Amino acid sequence: MLNFLHFRLNKTFLIFLAFLVVIAIWKPIPLIYGLQRGGLYSLIGLPLALILGIVGILNLAHGDFLTLGLYIGYIFFTQLGLDPLISVFPLFILMFLLAIGIYQISIKYVLKAGELNQLLLTFGISMVIIELIKIIWTTRPRNIYTPYASSSITIANFSIGIYEFIYPIVAIGVLVFLQLFLKKTFLGQASRAVGQNPKGAEIVGIDTNKVYLIIFAIAFGIIGIAAGIMLPRTSIFPLSGNAYTLKSFALAAMAGLGNLNGILIGGITLGVVEAIVQSIPGYSGWSDLVFFGVLIIVILIRAYRGSKS
Amino acid sequence: MKKILTPLIAIIAIGLLMFLPFYTGAYFLHVVMTILIYMTLSLSWDMMLRTGQLSFGVAGFFGVGAYVSIVSSANFGINPLVSIFLAGGFVALIALALGFVVLKLRGIYFAITTLALTMVFSVIIRNTPRLTGGASGKVIPNVIFQGDSSKIYLLILALALSTILISEMFSRTRIHFAINSIRTDELVAKSTGINIFKYLIIIFIITAAIQGVTGAVYSQQYGFVSPETTFSLDFLLLPMAMALVGGIYSTWGPIIGAIILGFASEYLKLIMPYGHLIIYGIIIILIILFLPKGIFGSLKSKKQSSN
Repeated sequence: MLNFLHFRLNKTFLIFLAFLVVIAIWKPIPLIYGLQRGGLYSLIGLPLALILGIVGILNLAHGDFLTLGLYIGYIFFTQLGLDPLISVFPLFILMFLLAIGIYQISIKYVLKAGELNQLLLTFGISMVIIELIKIIWTTRPRNIYTPYASSSITIANFSIGIYEFIYPIVAIGVLVFLQLFLKKTFLGQASRAVGQNPKGAEIVGIDTNKVYLIIFAIAFGIIGIAAGIMLPRTSIFPLSGNAYTLKSFALAAMAGLGNLNGILIGGITLGVVEAIVQSIPGYSGWSDLVFFGVLIIVILIRAYRGSKS
Repeated sequence: MKKILTPLIAIIAIGLLMFLPFYTGAYFLHVVMTILIYMTLSLSWDMMLRTGQLSFGVAGFFGVGAYVSIVSSANFGINPLVSIFLAGGFVALIALALGFVVLKLRGIYFAITTLALTMVFSVIIRNTPRLTGGASGKVIPNVIFQGDSSKIYLLILALALSTILISEMFSRTRIHFAINSIRTDELVAKSTGINIFKYLIIIFIITAAIQGVTGAVYSQQYGFVSPETTFSLDFLLLPMAMALVGGIYSTWGPIIGAIILGFASEYLKLIMPYGHLIIYGIIIILIILFLPKGIFGSLKSKKQSSN
């Protein structure tokens, strides 16, 4: 029944489980923080990995679209009184439509132009979004308050937010949805084919342009969901989402292109390691190194393996 | 005729540029200095790109150079001018050590690893507050040349001109065959007996050193460094945009791009103090969409096709 999830009991997954068990015994509190944070990293990383894996474009504006989603959710909450968790639905639709618009007027034209032009184009888009946000909403940080988001439990002097458990849960939900879409629907199968070999897919009659458009739209919809979910616990300012762009890419690179389950494993692993580093007194500032350090090491290991084979 | 004309124009242009401080105001001079700084970064980035390696490490080397210069002059009392050379040397050493590892990577992986290295540098600097001032940054009491802007200008001009010279050397001497062959077909280059790695690491070290020196000059000019501003991705992305707007794989491209985007952004800043970057962003998007070869690149291919 659940075989579409395809979590084969391979070496990576076993190591991951062993890692979680060891951490649970050694440092249970950072493990919980790490699971929550890692869930968020995975949720935000999934759409980037989807676009990168299938369309082959590294979207440098990824985090800025997340910021945009946060502001739209903020407007929903303050103007319409819409609860963030409900605003997930209109956010999904809005971001879906936005993606179609952006794809049609710009991305479409750089698909064949090479990595550099794609990176620069998305950088230009990122700049426009940040500046637009600054003009409309100024740089003043904003927060929203929902009573349920601040509930917490206390375990051994540590207070742990309950709301944050929603991140890994939604991340798994989105992952299941994506795997179902990619494996069970015609469009999903077509997009996997396009991701593996665009030219071949075109020869057998798949409309690659349409596939790219749909993948973009779905990925943006997921960004909208992530924005709605994180809204109650995030400070909203023009660079809110910025930090997630590179972290998402780090996850995608770690997992390898097209490996969506790997995003979840990688996201939670890095979230936990980050939380552990942060729990060491006096060294919390070094936690940022976790992502970049691991990213560099993984890429290098890949490169050495690649050169041998 | 053309052989005499080009150097003549170059000499006149350099002469005019050298005496610029005597006939323009402080504001215009400042704009030119900023443009020259970005032009240097843009050129150095393009030089690396000519080997086919898309480097995202510009901001990182720039930042390390800036910090080496400020820390060595503030903490150890080293002459600011000497500290700039020290910064270049230090960054060159880092590039040498890192080059052995990262130059094995290709394409997007090289790009991302160099970007991650930038982040690693900034995290290290933020977490060693005793030496670097940590997150709040570090100020030096005296900027270089006691803040004499015409002397600083000459220093920046010298830096920009030497970078242009190195760039021209790369495209005129034997080394450019190696560079081009690595970019167009690495396998063929390898099989014809070119020592790819040797050339890659030489170019990596030279361009990193240029970026380090640029960072050092920039930080000495302002007398201030902080992790956020010094490692700002602006120092990576704006030079990239300039090279692309002008046209990549050439010396002229980044120069033209830096002049156009540099003046455009200053002018936009004047007429539109808030949100002028929007227009800047739109310019980049439009150029990418409609002029993918850049201005110089398009002109060149037009000329070639009409011949």
